[in-house]
Amino acid sequence: MTAGMQATDRRRSGVDATAILPPGLRRAVIAVLVLLVLAPCAYILVASLMPDIEVASGAVVPSSVTLENWVAIWTTVPLAQGLGVSLLVCGVVAVLSALLAVATAYVLVRFTFVGRITFLRALVGLQSVPGTLLLLPLFVVYASAPTYLGITVVGTTWGLMITYLTFALPFATWVMVTYLRGMPVELEEAGLLDGLSRIGVLRRIVLPLSAPGLIVAAIFSFLLGWNDVLFASVLTQPRTRTAAVVLQAFGASQEGGALPLYGQVMSSAVVCAAPVVVLYLIFQRYLVGGLTGGLK
Amino acid sequence: MSLTSPTDRPPTATAPTGDVGGPVGAGVRPAGPTRRRQGPLWLMTPGGLLLLVVVVVPFVLALWMSVTDLDQYTLRQWAGAPFLGLGNYVEAVTTGPLLHSVWLSVAFSVLTTVLTLPLGLAAAFAAHDRFRGRALVRSIFLIPYVLPTFVVGTVWRIALGPDGAVNTVLGSVGIAGGNWLIGDRTFWTLVLVDTWAAWPFVYLLCLAGLQSIGREVHEAVAVDGATWWQKTVHIVLPSLRGPLLLAVIIATLHHLNNFTLPFVLFGSPAPDQVNVLPLAIYSASFQTFRFGLAAAMSVASLVLVLIPLLFYLRAVRLDTGLEKGAQA
Repeated sequence: MTAGMQATDRRRSGVDATAILPPGLRRAVIAVLVLLVLAPCAYILVASLMPDIEVASGAVVPSSVTLENWVAIWTTVPLAQGLGVSLLVCGVVAVLSALLAVATAYVLVRFTFVGRITFLRALVGLQSVPGTLLLLPLFVVYASAPTYLGITVVGTTWGLMITYLTFALPFATWVMVTYLRGMPVELEEAGLLDGLSRIGVLRRIVLPLSAPGLIVAAIFSFLLGWNDVLFASVLTQPRTRTAAVVLQAFGASQEGGALPLYGQVMSSAVVCAAPVVVLYLIFQRYLVGGLTGGLK
Repeated sequence: MSLTSPTDRPPTATAPTGDVGGPVGAGVRPAGPTRRRQGPLWLMTPGGLLLLVVVVVPFVLALWMSVTDLDQYTLRQWAGAPFLGLGNYVEAVTTGPLLHSVWLSVAFSVLTTVLTLPLGLAAAFAAHDRFRGRALVRSIFLIPYVLPTFVVGTVWRIALGPDGAVNTVLGSVGIAGGNWLIGDRTFWTLVLVDTWAAWPFVYLLCLAGLQSIGREVHEAVAVDGATWWQKTVHIVLPSLRGPLLLAVIIATLHHLNNFTLPFVLFGSPAPDQVNVLPLAIYSASFQTFRFGLAAAMSVASLVLVLIPLLFYLRAVRLDTGLEKGAQA
């Protein structure tokens, strides 16, 4: 829908035929919903600028605005370290899962083999396996690795990486499957005619052409790791805690204290949300389509 | 438009007829819906291996653990834990929290899904119409969905405290807030906060559905002089049946598996009123260290999740990526 079309349309009829709600009702709905969303968000931002004691006493309008929390959080909690771990783990997971997903999806879309439909079905099913089902046995598997293989997994960043990578793969692959289906095969055929191998076609033709799909797959894989608390709370040690676990532990530990540092919790919450919000703002156009492609 | 497609391109490149594969010949086949047999299947091995180690093996282990008496004392020699048969399942149902947690999880999922539907629908209707600032409104509507659940939980936990901001606001209009995080009201706290966070998902699916209604349909309705209510009930809602069904199934699955929100809001062990299945399993695993019992409960939770999942698998056409409803 371009602006031009919109303008001619308005001139022709004076009324938007595709509109569903009467303008008054539409404005009311939007006003209510925007308030519903923005009021809590505004509170988070305001509270992050309030002294701890005011947040704890439930103030909504600050009596004084201070940047103290924003300075203090970097020393009271290992937030910087948590952010570092989260960025490293999720960044690696995002790149690897997009690459593995495009390779797997390429085989699934362009070739036929026994078990193909089963695999596709599993991709959908795996997205909704409860994490709590796998957490404990996965912990047991990881904890036995030193005994049987001589390597430590629990508490390491790479242990977290393989975990998130695996859980991100079904959705990422599904995104790439739907994306590759929409791509014409003619270019790949041309590549084969020109003497490229199958892998050459994948690297030189499919990979560059599927960039928008790769972005969606990578970002959702990133978010899966960034948003996880369940696995990170069990598979990390203090030095490898992710931002999510740092914030959760920080928030929970303030309860019942003499002076809960709620202002600082609020600023930490903003810090933890910021990378995600920025990612969405940059890639919103790609993501809205991808969001509806499967389970969150 | 395909709901699953990240682009607007119709997924026609591989039609479902291509699955049988063409006659095997040397070299390149003509472009078309034919899929080839001799593929570089090894490309799937890294992903397959990961899924094997991180999903399949733990899954089998979970089944095995659920029939043993595994706890923190037997964990070191976990392979030799005493065999219990169905003992853990019996205990989970009789003296354990399983039935209560299943009931809570189902009630929580259904209520949250039901509450998010009108919000998501209204938002989709409003954001579908053309008006100045629509792009901004659409971005704002996505915020609750974009915010990480652990951030949402942490913030609401503070705001809902006895002296928190929510009670201040309620108090200013003369309502005594009371306790949101302990006692009988906790269940509703969980439902309301999750509703706040989850309605944009329904909105997104419905908006995509609305955009697939043809312009000529709208114009025909306008010519007929139907009121907006008639249009909504007779034209728009019926055409949203597919997206709505999909939204209900996926949202239910998501609520059933939601561990993060109740965990961050109430901590673990959770109050009895919000001890939903994921939390009950977590606390049986890592607070009371009854690993066998926890495994039995998590197997039960898988069975629970399978019900909406089977509906979902039926609703998605695997070979074309199109939901059946999306075409209706």
